[in-house]
Amino acid sequence: MKRAVLVFTYLLLIFSSRAQVNYAVSAIPKTLLPRAGAIVRNSETSIEVKALDDVISKHKVAITVLNSSGANEANIDLYYDKVTQIKLAKGIIYNEFGLPVSKFTEKNFNDRSAVSSMSIYDDDRVKFFHPTQTSYPYTIEYEYEIRSKQSLYFRDWLPVTTTGVSIEKSSLSFICPLNFKLRHKEFNYTGKVQELSDKDSRTFKWQVSNISPLRYEPYSPDHEQFLVSVKLAPETFAFKNIKGSFRNWDEYGRWMYENILKGRDELPEQTRSLVLDMVKDLQNPKEKARKIYEYMQSKTRYISIQIGIGGYLPYPAAEVDRLGYGDCKGLVNYTQALLKVAGIESYYAVVEAGGLKKDLLTDFTSMNQGNHVILCLPFKNDTTWLECTSKIKPFGFLGDFTDDRQVVVCSAEGGKLMRTPKLETAGNRQIRRAEFQVSDKGDLTGSIVTNFEGSQYDNHDVLYNEAYAEQLKKLPDLYPLPNLKIQSFQYKKVKEARPVTTESLSINSTDYCSFNAGKLHLVVNSLNKYTNVPKEVRSRVNPVFINRGWHDEDEITYQLPDSYKLNFPPEKKRIEKPFGSYTTDITFSGNKITYKRIMQLNEGTYAPEEYQQLVDFFQTVYEADHAKLIVESAK
Amino acid sequence: MAYFASAQQDFSFAKPGTEEFNLKRYDKDTSANAVVLREFGTAYLSSSDSELIFEYHVRTKIFNSKEFRQGNIEIPIYKKDANSFEKLSNIKGITFYPDEQGLIRSSELDPKQIFTEKKAYKNVDVTKFAMPNLRDGCIIEYSYRLQSPFVFNFRKWEFQSDLPKIYSEYSPRIPAVYNYNISIRGPLKLSKNTGSVEKDCYSPGGGFKADCSKMIYAMEDIPAFKEEDYMTAASNFKSAMYFELSDYTSYNGVKTKLTKEWKDVDHELKTHEAFGAQLKKKDFFKDKISPLLSGQKDELDKAKLIYKYWQNWFKWNSNYGEYSNDGLKKAFETHTGNVGDINLSLVAAMNAADLDAEPVILSTRSNGTVNPLFPVLSDFNYSICKVNIGDKSYLLDATDPLLPFGLLPMRCINDKGRVMSFSKPSYWIDLKASQKESKTINLNLTINESGKAEGTIVIYSSGYEAYNKRNKIRRFNSTEEYVEDLDERMPKIKIMKSEILNLDTLDRSLSETYTIEMDVADKQDRSTLIFNPFFLDRVTENPFKLAERTYPVDMGAPSETRIMMTLSFPEKFEVISKIDPVGLALPDKGGKFIAQVSAEGNTLLFMNHTQLNKSIYSAEEYPYLKELFNKIVQSQQIDLVFKKKI
Repeated sequence: MKRAVLVFTYLLLIFSSRAQVNYAVSAIPKTLLPRAGAIVRNSETSIEVKALDDVISKHKVAITVLNSSGANEANIDLYYDKVTQIKLAKGIIYNEFGLPVSKFTEKNFNDRSAVSSMSIYDDDRVKFFHPTQTSYPYTIEYEYEIRSKQSLYFRDWLPVTTTGVSIEKSSLSFICPLNFKLRHKEFNYTGKVQELSDKDSRTFKWQVSNISPLRYEPYSPDHEQFLVSVKLAPETFAFKNIKGSFRNWDEYGRWMYENILKGRDELPEQTRSLVLDMVKDLQNPKEKARKIYEYMQSKTRYISIQIGIGGYLPYPAAEVDRLGYGDCKGLVNYTQALLKVAGIESYYAVVEAGGLKKDLLTDFTSMNQGNHVILCLPFKNDTTWLECTSKIKPFGFLGDFTDDRQVVVCSAEGGKLMRTPKLETAGNRQIRRAEFQVSDKGDLTGSIVTNFEGSQYDNHDVLYNEAYAEQLKKLPDLYPLPNLKIQSFQYKKVKEARPVTTESLSINSTDYCSFNAGKLHLVVNSLNKYTNVPKEVRSRVNPVFINRGWHDEDEITYQLPDSYKLNFPPEKKRIEKPFGSYTTDITFSGNKITYKRIMQLNEGTYAPEEYQQLVDFFQTVYEADHAKLIVESAK
Repeated sequence: MAYFASAQQDFSFAKPGTEEFNLKRYDKDTSANAVVLREFGTAYLSSSDSELIFEYHVRTKIFNSKEFRQGNIEIPIYKKDANSFEKLSNIKGITFYPDEQGLIRSSELDPKQIFTEKKAYKNVDVTKFAMPNLRDGCIIEYSYRLQSPFVFNFRKWEFQSDLPKIYSEYSPRIPAVYNYNISIRGPLKLSKNTGSVEKDCYSPGGGFKADCSKMIYAMEDIPAFKEEDYMTAASNFKSAMYFELSDYTSYNGVKTKLTKEWKDVDHELKTHEAFGAQLKKKDFFKDKISPLLSGQKDELDKAKLIYKYWQNWFKWNSNYGEYSNDGLKKAFETHTGNVGDINLSLVAAMNAADLDAEPVILSTRSNGTVNPLFPVLSDFNYSICKVNIGDKSYLLDATDPLLPFGLLPMRCINDKGRVMSFSKPSYWIDLKASQKESKTINLNLTINESGKAEGTIVIYSSGYEAYNKRNKIRRFNSTEEYVEDLDERMPKIKIMKSEILNLDTLDRSLSETYTIEMDVADKQDRSTLIFNPFFLDRVTENPFKLAERTYPVDMGAPSETRIMMTLSFPEKFEVISKIDPVGLALPDKGGKFIAQVSAEGNTLLFMNHTQLNKSIYSAEEYPYLKELFNKIVQSQQIDLVFKKKI
């Protein structure tokens, strides 16, 4: 009996404490419903700096899932590692009418490793709870608390993270002692930061409300250009027992050098003399650097290993030297150490790598910008950059993973923002010449020779680096000719700072042409059809962003058999738009057809209204690329 | 000492021969970037604690950096619970590599560089290490010892892997008191297959001693295993040896039979706490389903109601397993569970409604086929419900809310399943798709003089086609958003009106009706109209690209696509591209492709029919199948062209 009473009071407590919150679906503002699979009813994040090595973040979240498309929004995944601990996690599930139906606590969470399978070692783990509601709508309300032994970095606040979710209310509070200096930067935040102080603490608060669901719009810029977010950074911080401070990139660089890099560049005597011997006959420092870089490439391989200070610490150079492997930090630090032996100065450079170009912010310095490191060699008027994780990249060629973006280089003198060189549209070339004989049966036999340069060199390196059997398997995906037989193929490379891969294929494709009513149908663009027409977006909001330009040229000839006769006028097509151009040119001489195609996409940002034009452009190209010539029999 | 006899058979650690150092390429497969030089494994029962010891040793030549990933080693360690888990020890590794001067140097694996990731997967820790100093032309060698309490699962041996191997040898030493069923899979032949007796090799204590048969199985020049598209589990085809314990005699002379015959398994599962015993809990489900079934008389209706209720009640936790993991009661109460929880409780609920339902155990497509000769329980990883109504039976899987009654998910369509009928002996049934993947598209369009085509498209989908489409539509918040997205993906086409029927009525064909408008006039020459009837989903590429095929093509289910079109065009135009009829059939009624056009005045009737009658085509049938798709691709390329009469 006593037990029943206890349960009763407990339930009462839950009910009474939540009485003021109405999670009924009917209480959701109607304007938030269209296109929403889930609705964040309320999300409160509060970060409290109790001490530099004691930061508590508390989260309270309530999400209504309207249908199965929003089901994943209710999943809770709490990541933790050696410096962050989960202190509390619990929640309640409410039905459509806002009445509680079940609750869960930390013991209902599962735990698993969050190490990516590519990684040899790190200690990330995740605790997760994925609700098993099968009827919609329902609301999940939960809270959790995370304690972190560091104040070096704070996670960005990003209230909208995905499409199809609207936000009723979301807020961030940051609470710190009066002597703690917070730096913050807002993106697309229209409100004002509220700042409150009492006698021993200061509170900053940001909030948003009534945000309609985000829609997926192809060719959108980086989310920092259109989504609300807030970045936070300390002036003075601790990472466990390591203390420090920085306010700008200059101070950041100095701190990095002193705490992360210094003293990790020692090498065994044997390696030092090997390096000196290697470069002793070279005068030009750049040539010396090339020799050393190529040595490093042959000696090491990339393996993801995370150690120390939140994964920011590189393996010491001597370790990389002994083991012959390392991650980006270890390999950059190692290359730097080798170069130093030869008297060549270089800088450890932090960059945000990825297909989408992203700058480190000029006016805001924080530890959690950048996800990769490269090496900068400040030769006079000839700054050279090295990607140290690749065994095959040419000296001085970064590729599209890190090109054209603002990075920070670190040294004893401090940090400095610099820009990596850009792969220009005109240089991102794919130039192809193909010659085919067409047989009576419509089979193609001939050769294809293609040069890949700039970012297209990079793209093609993926295939180049595959095993032979894999290459043979993948080439038909690149050249989707029916019944493709590759009789021979080879690659030639010019590994300069502006590298070129030349691919030469000799092929045969049966049944390429189709026949109908005695006529031969030939799709003249056999090798480079554009197929990726983006979907239309009515009432588009975002500007059109083309991250990278490129330039393709194809010239294909077809020698037809005598049994067919060409009698058309030559055909020309030309489309010129700000974001790109497309030209085709079909000419005839005797029984030979020559098809020329040039397509170029120009990088840049264009007005949202131009998006439909971009779709039309691609659609026109798509159709033109699939167009056929119909050839009459000679009889 | 006889006990260590096996050690002699292993090749010496860290002593590659000159010819291995000098090897520049593997002549039998010159495209290989690495080759396993030697590989040796042994497994035996330890006399001290009767645990299974597995020792592994491999030496690999890596010709170039394209196979450096071979130097990143991962060893999974199974942990059932705190008391029974595998233990990994004696990890040794060494790399021999040519240095800058071309001299051979060696570099040992540093024990400090060996890491273990706890609970990398459910019940599995993974030990990872990277071999040091890989260079082009290096040799890596490593060995380890794994001790396991799971003696029933004697280590299998995979002769074939993604690298070719020059020599691979497995030498299990099996005490005579343990009987294993040994099977070999794959087409490759053993080059060595010998057995000898080792006296008194197994002495677990108490003066008990047993002899061992020491087996040596070896293969030479093993080609690399290459996966192909449309193929079921690689394990079905890879050359490997499997061992399943059938009985053993303990030191006191008591013989314990394990999986020897199906009747033993029948008994085992019937009484198994997480299987047969769970099925007895039908009373628990009686009051859960009685409100649902009130007034229902028809058995099929009852079964359908329960099935639907189950599909919607549970949210599957994505775990497989033929056994119940949480117990049926708990699973029901928490609305979640593994496959066994959901489908065994479905059997129990059907039984509670006095329906004749039985569990079926099976192995999923990715898990490989099961041994048909004798029961190997560890081959199975899934259970479903078979309900018998009248003279018909239906196979049901309630883990997915979008499957129609009687259609199994594709993952279950894998050869044979075993019906564990507890009232009679268990028996095999074929796991075939109960419905083919079928799609019918009816187009009724009129082209007007300005080059606009208007009309309706009706698409009927059934079987897996409907299942896939329902899944796709479900990813949107509403059917309106699905249609909007569809419309936006086809820039040439405007969808004016749409209707989607039977989205939730899973037993019926899904029907989509779209009223559309599209521009078909040639952009440069408005007097020409170009129309391709396959604008909705054209087969633009032959899915079969390999010149020849080693393994069968497994599509899972037969399929059929029909396209019927009535197209009216303006009086002032004429058809200038006559389309030749195409007809092609696969041998042995395996399938066909037919395309026909006929004209009547200003109306074109167009018919296109593709039929694939088999789920599996043998490697010998492959060229025909490939040719069929060639014809489909070619035929669908041809446009209808209309020109203004002059």
